[in-house]
Amino acid sequence: MIKKGKRKVRLRWLSVTSIIILLLSYTPVVAQENYTISGKISDIDNGETLFGASVFLEGTTIGVVTNEYGFYSITAPKGEYRLLITYMGYADIKQVVNLNRNQNFNFEISETSTKLDEVEVTAEESEIAVLRKPEMSVLKMNIETVKQMPVVLGEVDILKSLQMLPGVTNNGEGTGGFHVRGGAGDQNLVLLDEAIIYNTSHMFGFFSVFNADAIKDVKLYKGGIPARYGGRVSSVLDVRQKDGNSKRFAATGGIGIISSRLALEAPLFKEKGSFLIAGRSSYANLLLKAAGEDNSVGFYDLNLKTNYKINANNRLFLSGYFGRDSFELGDTFSNSYGNATGNLRWNHIFNDKLFSNLSAVYSKYDYKLGLTFAEFDWVSSITNYNLKYDLKYYFSDKFKLDFGASGIYYEFDPGEINPTSETSAVNPLLLDRKKAIESGLYIDAEHKLTEKLTAQYGLRYSSFSRLGGQPMTEYANNQPVVYNADLGIYERGTAVGETVYEKGDAIKTFGNLEPRASLAYSINDNSSLKAGFSRVAQYIHLLSNTSSATPLDVWAPSGQYIDPQLSNQYALGYFRNFANKAYSMEAEIYYKNTDNRIDYIDGSDLIGQNTIETEILKGESRAYGLELLFRKNEGDFTGWIAYTLSKSEQRTPGGTAGGPGINDGDWYNTPYDRTHDISISGSYKLNEKWSFGTNLVFQTGRPVTYPNGQYEYEGVSIASYADRNSDRLPAYHRLDVSVNYKPNKKPDAKLKGEWVLGIYNAYNRKNAASVSFGQNIETGANEATRTAIFGIVPSITYNFKF
Amino acid sequence: MKNYIKLFLAVCTISVVSCEDVIDVDVQTDTLRLVVEASLDWEKGTTGNDQSITLRTSTPFFDTQSTDVIGAEVNVTNNSTGEVYPFTDQNNGTYTTTTFDPQIYVTYTLEIIYDGERFTAEDTLRPVPNIKEVYQDTEDGFDDETIELHIVFDDFQDEGDSYFFKFERPQDLLPTLEVGDDEFINGNEVDWWYEIDDDEDEEIKPLLPGDIVTINMHSISRPYYNYMDIVIDQLGGVGIFESTPVEVKGNCINTTDPENYAHGYFRVTQKNSVIYTVE
Repeated sequence: MIKKGKRKVRLRWLSVTSIIILLLSYTPVVAQENYTISGKISDIDNGETLFGASVFLEGTTIGVVTNEYGFYSITAPKGEYRLLITYMGYADIKQVVNLNRNQNFNFEISETSTKLDEVEVTAEESEIAVLRKPEMSVLKMNIETVKQMPVVLGEVDILKSLQMLPGVTNNGEGTGGFHVRGGAGDQNLVLLDEAIIYNTSHMFGFFSVFNADAIKDVKLYKGGIPARYGGRVSSVLDVRQKDGNSKRFAATGGIGIISSRLALEAPLFKEKGSFLIAGRSSYANLLLKAAGEDNSVGFYDLNLKTNYKINANNRLFLSGYFGRDSFELGDTFSNSYGNATGNLRWNHIFNDKLFSNLSAVYSKYDYKLGLTFAEFDWVSSITNYNLKYDLKYYFSDKFKLDFGASGIYYEFDPGEINPTSETSAVNPLLLDRKKAIESGLYIDAEHKLTEKLTAQYGLRYSSFSRLGGQPMTEYANNQPVVYNADLGIYERGTAVGETVYEKGDAIKTFGNLEPRASLAYSINDNSSLKAGFSRVAQYIHLLSNTSSATPLDVWAPSGQYIDPQLSNQYALGYFRNFANKAYSMEAEIYYKNTDNRIDYIDGSDLIGQNTIETEILKGESRAYGLELLFRKNEGDFTGWIAYTLSKSEQRTPGGTAGGPGINDGDWYNTPYDRTHDISISGSYKLNEKWSFGTNLVFQTGRPVTYPNGQYEYEGVSIASYADRNSDRLPAYHRLDVSVNYKPNKKPDAKLKGEWVLGIYNAYNRKNAASVSFGQNIETGANEATRTAIFGIVPSITYNFKF
Repeated sequence: MKNYIKLFLAVCTISVVSCEDVIDVDVQTDTLRLVVEASLDWEKGTTGNDQSITLRTSTPFFDTQSTDVIGAEVNVTNNSTGEVYPFTDQNNGTYTTTTFDPQIYVTYTLEIIYDGERFTAEDTLRPVPNIKEVYQDTEDGFDDETIELHIVFDDFQDEGDSYFFKFERPQDLLPTLEVGDDEFINGNEVDWWYEIDDDEDEEIKPLLPGDIVTINMHSISRPYYNYMDIVIDQLGGVGIFESTPVEVKGNCINTTDPENYAHGYFRVTQKNSVIYTVE
């Protein structure tokens, strides 16, 4: 089976390669005499390459934005031009070029303000609606903007900031992950320097794993996912680390009430390279210990990046991340978990039109749970090795091509139980280890059809092979789950035997064609209309039947019993800039449906479950909504108002198990449904010393299941529960404020410091993270108990830079 | 084993919580249903002839005043022999018999005729292993300073045993219910412990010398384990890291109108009962 599959892939790879070679060989055969300018744009102060800077030939519509590595390439007819380089927050550069041969120009641009740690009062170019590019449904955040926003406990958090934008929510305070356009947490592909991050949270979701001091760019694709990405149906969060200062030694850091951080950067090899090393650690135990608890909770993480420029056309990057959380409750429980990633990249510029990057990526997520009192421990992990090759070909000013291939090898280790003492009553157990290969091939074109109309269209072919080397349980009538019509409940199927798959066999292979397309029509210089379609396949799934994902949730691959999730998304958008780009507006509507979304039968048990198929039913989900974003981009006062009106629901019929399905087969709300979501964020710069920030958030309460009755049994009151997710938590709202103060220092002082004072949830709203129902143990009366995580939380942080 | 991990998640919830309060919430109201508490428990070493079944109605969640069900016809049948044990209406919601004959590995059927509708349920009686020892200690459990009780028994060699424990102290309003299975401990000597948290916020005190604890240990069928496992998980509410709550359906089927199913359970078990005085 597998051999056949491989051959098929190779054939397709060959055909794609030959198309590309064909295209490349056309290059010289262009009627008009065209020449190419290419090069890199970087920051003059620290040498960081700039992603998203625009390079235009003034007075024409010919231009590009720099790629992730700061590279650009422009092809235009012979002639004399003025090359204009703009990047918001940086001074413009104009350069006269006589285009009579192919040439290479590298530019170093400087920030408009000479002061180092200046408050950014203007948004980046890319944050203003980019009108001509077909790219839509994309959120890009400037790390400086993120740092300005008030946050809980003073910890700068990219994920929390993204949730202030339309279409992005979380599942309540103190929960991990995020949800995009009504999608589940596991439907987000989170990449840190191209490495997959499986768990984005520290301390059960209070903080994200991204250390803002080590991050250069954050880009979230809510839809219109380019063909070079695949594997998750809801969104792609592409986070890139800084390369490290290649001009001089620099340090940034901060001291907060929960954690402290320090980042060091410096040139290496006579400015041919540079490095960044950043660390962050919580003051483990401090808070709880101070509260007289015998418990501890803490985290740390480490970011590393280094690069070496071999020559003008070859550059190597090595980056890594290592993060760890630990959680101990006296002598009874201990829990630790974290991500580890590594990535070696080779940037190679074939010629002034062809840019390439080869990456070898490793990533791992694991957790360990020690139950000292029960004398056993439990370990689980997911590991993947990813090899990918991406190329960008700047064919002409009208046509650019992205293409490439990737292969991911996964190892799933869902759980291993070991007794920790001689006297432990627990027997050792190893859940079946699973292996799989996911591969992708893509080609994506950006095509300027007319002066007003630009299209982006591409195709991704993905395939997934669940590899053997494990037994698979077979069930009576091929039903892992069976409907018991008498009792009206779903039950686990009867195992009738096992099929053992040898290591060389594939248990199951899937293949999917994923077309992606979008179109931008610029109505005039200030407004445009865009439309997009994307189809995405997802082959691995996070199993979780809890209200919010926990670090203990296990990833499972598609296979004999779990089909890949397939999602189609359609979006339409209107984008407009006002008053010479001082204001911008974005409006989008979307509809997406996802097939093969699994949900869990009543009473499902996922802990230590070797046969997940007996706990799930296959269904579908759909989400639709309207997103509005209005921004003020310039001036002393900047900020935005975001509003989302949306619906997210799912349906899980009985299928092969028989019966009506979950909730009688009717549509029900997903836990990520939020009818209204309003976020207002603003910052005001009073003078060089003082600036202020504020957030105001309002959200419809999360769908939950409440009781609809009770009965007495075994001397206690038992709640009977209503239909799944048919109730809602009370609405969520809060106001945050922050003040930044920069002490007056001499302009040439090396050390620049700032104090950030923040108040999270200023009016002390008790937002319910959950409402639980039970019996008062003293009176026996039934009552509803609200759990609120954060009341009013003041914080103070000192940030420095030298 | 799994319950320990569930417990861990429950504890996580508690430890991240900074504020809990009781609030008023509007909830939906289901139709009122028949509640069957038919627990035919045969205490080891007795005849098990005397048994009783309680029938009530369910109520809205916050209004716990239930009504006793009077005038139902209640019979239990031994599926192997066909022998029928009629239960007599005591006109207070209970129905009793003095002739029940419990037999290991025999399946029994309950039939209730009430208000023109017929409900039936089945369960199988399984043997319970002997309790070898009950002792107290402080070393194990969550807290090294509070007393926990230990119940020691040998799990049967065949896999698939499930247990239900009920612990009661006279001074406590609510009993403690626990279930366990032998999935990870099959055939081992099992030391099951019971501890009461020393929670300063609550009036409930941990086990102290002089406390009298009634321990009931039942061997139960797998379907009843599945039922009680969910019931117990959801007792006292469900936190953010615990499974979303679900409607739990017992084994009493309404054959006249399946939509109008009954709550509760018909169980037939063998049990050990021990009264232990903490020293």
